[in-house]
Amino acid sequence: MLRFDVRAAFRDDATTFDVAADLTVRDGETLCLLGPSGSGKTLLLELLAGFHEHDGSIELDGRPIEDAPPEARGIGFVFQNYALFSHLSVRENVAFGTKYHENARDPDALLARLGVADLAERSPDTLSGGEKQRIALARALCVRPDAFLLDEPLSALDAPTRERLRDDLVDVLADETAVYVTHDRTTARAVADRVAVLRDGRVAQVGPTETVFERPATRFVAEFTGATVVAGSSLPPGLDAPTGLLAVRPDHIRVGVAEGAPAHVERVVREDAAYRVTLAVGDATLVAYSSAEPSTETTVAVPSGRWHVLPDGERDADE
Amino acid sequence: MVAAARFDGSSVDRRALVLAVAAVQVAAFLVADALGRPTLYVAFAVVSAACLGALADRGPFGIVAACLGGALLVALVYPLVTLVTVASPESVIAALARPDVRRTLYLSVYAPLLATLLTCFLGVPLALLLRRDFPGRPVVESLVDLPLVVPHSVAGLAVLLAFGEGGAFPTLPVLGAVPGLVLALAFVSAPYAVDGAREGFETVDRDAERAARSLGASRFETFRRVTAPLAVRGVLSGAILSWARAVSEYGAVAVVAYNVSVFYPPAGERVQAMFGSVFVVRELDVNFDAAVAVAVCLLAVCVAVFLAVRTLTRDTGRWA
Repeated sequence: MLRFDVRAAFRDDATTFDVAADLTVRDGETLCLLGPSGSGKTLLLELLAGFHEHDGSIELDGRPIEDAPPEARGIGFVFQNYALFSHLSVRENVAFGTKYHENARDPDALLARLGVADLAERSPDTLSGGEKQRIALARALCVRPDAFLLDEPLSALDAPTRERLRDDLVDVLADETAVYVTHDRTTARAVADRVAVLRDGRVAQVGPTETVFERPATRFVAEFTGATVVAGSSLPPGLDAPTGLLAVRPDHIRVGVAEGAPAHVERVVREDAAYRVTLAVGDATLVAYSSAEPSTETTVAVPSGRWHVLPDGERDADE
Repeated sequence: MVAAARFDGSSVDRRALVLAVAAVQVAAFLVADALGRPTLYVAFAVVSAACLGALADRGPFGIVAACLGGALLVALVYPLVTLVTVASPESVIAALARPDVRRTLYLSVYAPLLATLLTCFLGVPLALLLRRDFPGRPVVESLVDLPLVVPHSVAGLAVLLAFGEGGAFPTLPVLGAVPGLVLALAFVSAPYAVDGAREGFETVDRDAERAARSLGASRFETFRRVTAPLAVRGVLSGAILSWARAVSEYGAVAVVAYNVSVFYPPAGERVQAMFGSVFVVRELDVNFDAAVAVAVCLLAVCVAVFLAVRTLTRDTGRWA
């Protein structure tokens, strides 16, 4: 279990950026730190790894590590830009940490497990992005860290490679304690057991992945996780919407149903396997997945219970 | 022979292309030299640069840039090639037969080497510090680069006053002695060693060092296994430039110590030797051929060391 309550301030000539978080990652759990660029996700990860000075406590499997240097924390780090040692071969990269860990895994077996055994003698400079990240993952796995920190490991990869590696990551991290940083809600939903949404260096909401996505705590969390936020009073009566500030996910909105509220299809955008339609409903704008034609009239309905009334909506920082 | 293809590297073997261009330039130079019309070669070199610029298909700017760059390269290389061609093999051999010339060449390599070792010993750790921000870093950087703008005779005088008799190191022989010569050379060449090393350290991926730490390597182990191997090219390049700069120094040496007593291994004893750049200037008035011959020998040693280390530190070993 990784439990931390850390704070740090980063200053340059003009600004100060504070990061503070109090979170727990259970054994075998993957916690996603989800947030926009500049929200402090990576800095928080680097604090946990010991790359910056910080206040507060970090406990890994009952062992306080806040004062330990990075090499003594028992934390593996996977970087967005791979951070491979370009002067060493792939095998030498993976085996780098074996010198410092008696119970290290066999580098060749790890390379085989990740499907890159044939690259063992190659130089990292000759590899594709996906191959590099597999090597970086093998390198981190090799020393059997007590917890993994992954800093947007997929964001530099093309879509097909990203999807393949994401699937493999889910398998690899299944039994590992991991903190996974991403700004991509799709990735977060795919890999996370729990999600912590970060904003301006603070945790805006933490909870099981489905809870955060389905029951966002603030307008910011709702919008960042893909929900549409509307005022209940702006919706037509036919939608049976509660009052207050509401969040609704696109996949919960039914379009073209028999008994729905009238809506106008404003825009249709093809997204991978579905059409994302923007609908004018009453005085509000909703987003749904549908095959409706643009500039046509249709109807919409939202099943009861799919409206989520945002708690403290009026006091949200966005208001 | 190269006009049939563009120089985009895909249709022409790059190495063959470089060799072909070099061969054409050498042939043109030899023809102009045989005709006694060096101007012809200079014109040929600039025109051929324009042709290469046109073949590279980079538009009118490419042609103009190639012309200007070609002119600069001619200005840089032509004098050196002329120097080599003026010196006859016989005069070089005759010069090398002179004991004072051999001692001069020894001192001209040895003293800069000591100066480079000194600047690297003191400067590489400083370069490591300078890649990270700290209060006053711009001041330190300016101080390191200060010798670049100090006139070298002034630098020599400053070294003499600071470290000579009654200076910071009372027991250190400076005026007319090897330690003084080395200090003067170190003063003028230190910026190259520090800046080269700093650039080398700055190319090291910070995350690679962090990865090493997270894999269990201590700070020192990370430096030994990651930082140093990745930065060694920059450090070596800086050291070479520093050494080359020291070999070529004249002003500071002329003020501090140009004729020194040094242990000369072939003789197994201390001998009096004059620093190369000063020797060349002094010998010009006495024996022009000997001066040219020594200059050529110095040039050959410098170029040989430069090319050897450059080859060692290249990624690919390719010429182009």
